[in-house]
Parts: sequence; C-alpha cells; structure tokens
Amino acid sequence: MAVKRRSSKEEPLNLIPVMNLVTILIPFLLMAAEFVSLAVIDSTLPAIGPPQPASEPDPNEEPPLQLSLALMDKGVRIIGADKVLFPDGAPEVAEGEEAPPTIPCNSGAACTSVDDYDWSEMTRLLAKIKDVYPDDENVIVVPGTKIRYEVIVAAMDAAREDRENKGADGKSRVLFPFVVIAGGAM
Amino acid sequence: MPVKKKRYEVDADLNINSMMDMMTIILVFLLKSYSTSDVSIAASDDLQLPTSSAQKAPELAVNLVVTQNQIVVDGVPVVNLTLEPDEDNPGVEMPVVPDDEKRGQSITKLYDRLVEKAQTAKEMAQRSANDEFDFKGRILLQVDRSMPFGVLREVMYTAGQAQFGEFKFVVYKAE
Repeated sequence: MAVKRRSSKEEPLNLIPVMNLVTILIPFLLMAAEFVSLAVIDSTLPAIGPPQPASEPDPNEEPPLQLSLALMDKGVRIIGADKVLFPDGAPEVAEGEEAPPTIPCNSGAACTSVDDYDWSEMTRLLAKIKDVYPDDENVIVVPGTKIRYEVIVAAMDAAREDRENKGADGKSRVLFPFVVIAGGAM
Repeated sequence: MPVKKKRYEVDADLNINSMMDMMTIILVFLLKSYSTSDVSIAASDDLQLPTSSAQKAPELAVNLVVTQNQIVVDGVPVVNLTLEPDEDNPGVEMPVVPDDEKRGQSITKLYDRLVEKAQTAKEMAQRSANDEFDFKGRILLQVDRSMPFGVLREVMYTAGQAQFGEFKFVVYKAE
C-alpha cells in the first residue's frame, strides 16, 4: 500500500485578510467611541397657569411641604421645613437683615468653591425632612444671581438621593428627585 | 584583495503576528467604549460641563450650548457674551448677556431662533403620524460649569417664552 507522505514544511497562516478587516474596523470604532459618558438632569419651568381657586384650608390636614433650597454665597438655606429642622422654633431674624444660611460653608464666611458647601450635611437634613414627608418629591432650587452653575448641579445631586444610606437593594435612598429651578430675586 | 561576500537572496515574509496582537487589543478596547448615544458634545476650554451623579441617558432634542463666550443653538452661534467686572469681587470678571441683546429678561435673538426651532418641530410633528415626534418642548442645555446663574436664568426664561419648558441639563456622569 502506498503511503502518502505529508510535506513536513509548515505553511505560515495567512493573516493578511484578518489584518485588512481589523484595519477597517478600527477607524469605524474610533469614530463611534465615547470617552466621556454623559447624563442629563431633568428640570421644568415653574408651572404658569390660572390661579387655583382658594379652598377652605382643612384645619386637620397637614399643609403641603413646599421645600425650597436657597443657594447663597454664604451657604444653603432650607426654606419651608422649619417645623422639622427647628422643632423648638426657628431662630429669629432681625428685620431688614438677611436670614443666615441653614448650612453654612465649611470655610466660614463665603464659599470659595463648589466643594466648600457642606453637601453631606444638606443631604442629612433633607433625609430628616423626607422621614416626616415621605410622599413629597419636589424641591425648588432658588440660586442667587452670581451662583455658579456647578453649585446648582451639586445642590440638585445632593437633594436627589442619599448615597450614604443605601437601601436593602443596594440603591441609594431617593429624597427629592424633581427639581424646579426658580429665578430668585437675591 | 579580499573578495566581497555574495549576498544571499532570501524571500523573507514580514512577520505581522505582533501587529495583529496589538490590533486585537485595540479592537477590544474600542468595542468597549463603543456607544450609540444621540448626543455629542464638542469639548473645549470654553465649555466644561459639571460632573453629576445623575444616571439618566440623554435623548435627542434642540441643543442649546452656553459657553463662556457665546450662546449656540444647534451648532449656530446666536449671541456673544461679554465680560463684566464683578462688583463684589474686584479683579474677577463674569460673563453677561449684553444689554442691547435683551428685552427685559428675554434674549431677543435667542428667542427668535428658538421660536423658529419650535415651529419647525411642530411642522414635522404634523407630518408624522408617530407620537414620538410630537413637540414636547424638550431642550438640552449644555452650560459651562462656571456660568453665573444670572445668565442661565435669562436663557431659561427665554427658552420658556419660546415654549421650551422641559429642560435637560447635560452633565458628565461621575464614575
């Protein structure tokens, strides 16, 4: 029986077609590559509509929470939740004077940068308010005219969720995710 | 006299294995960062977006960009901003919308451009039977992180007047 002998010389694998394919794929993928990922924060204009007919306030009904965050250069003032924050009565402000911030800047007088605001303290206080008003999800942010945009974004972040207290499912506790930005007169 | 050695004529193949290795690694890396996001930004020194913990993905809408120098709608510059000294902080300048570009709080040219955009979007919605294209007044706002709220308020007010009431602030996603 004749035995066919295999040639012992190995042919190198021809990689040229694969190279061609990869070379075409790389520019295409480079075009579609995203090196920074973007996200959006939703916000709406304050609703403009006909005034609601004034109904008789029910003495037994709890008045709705109208939570506002006034962003000032000296810190953040939480408005509308004095009952929770100051159970013994809010500190009195002399007439004609600007109310002091609820959460002053870390450095004391005027905040120098976005990190100088005490965002974790604000989140803690908002979580306390959320404990009392669990169904409320709206917050009005009222920045001063000279407040920088990054401070507004940081305030919205701090009001949206409590990242330090995670629930059983590992997700952050949601505080006040619906933000309305109002033009302040400060 | 020494005789010069004869050169061998060898039929040598170019070894492209190592290049293939490199390409494969690049390919995997690029596939990982592949994205089909609708929104793209042109990063520059004038436009540094803030970083946020927000997770919502951006969607297609009218694109309003406020850099330190100008306001741009869908890639077309509309209004130039000027720098004015800050009264409280000597030596610091803040961008403002020039007074002759404004009527009250509304920025005239921006208002005209946005009304035009709203009109086009409504006409397109009428022609299409798909609810997806209905005009909802969505607007993507890409604003420089150091922009004072004064400018932002005027931009938001103008957009609101031009029936764009659903703002989407574009931010970098924090890792």
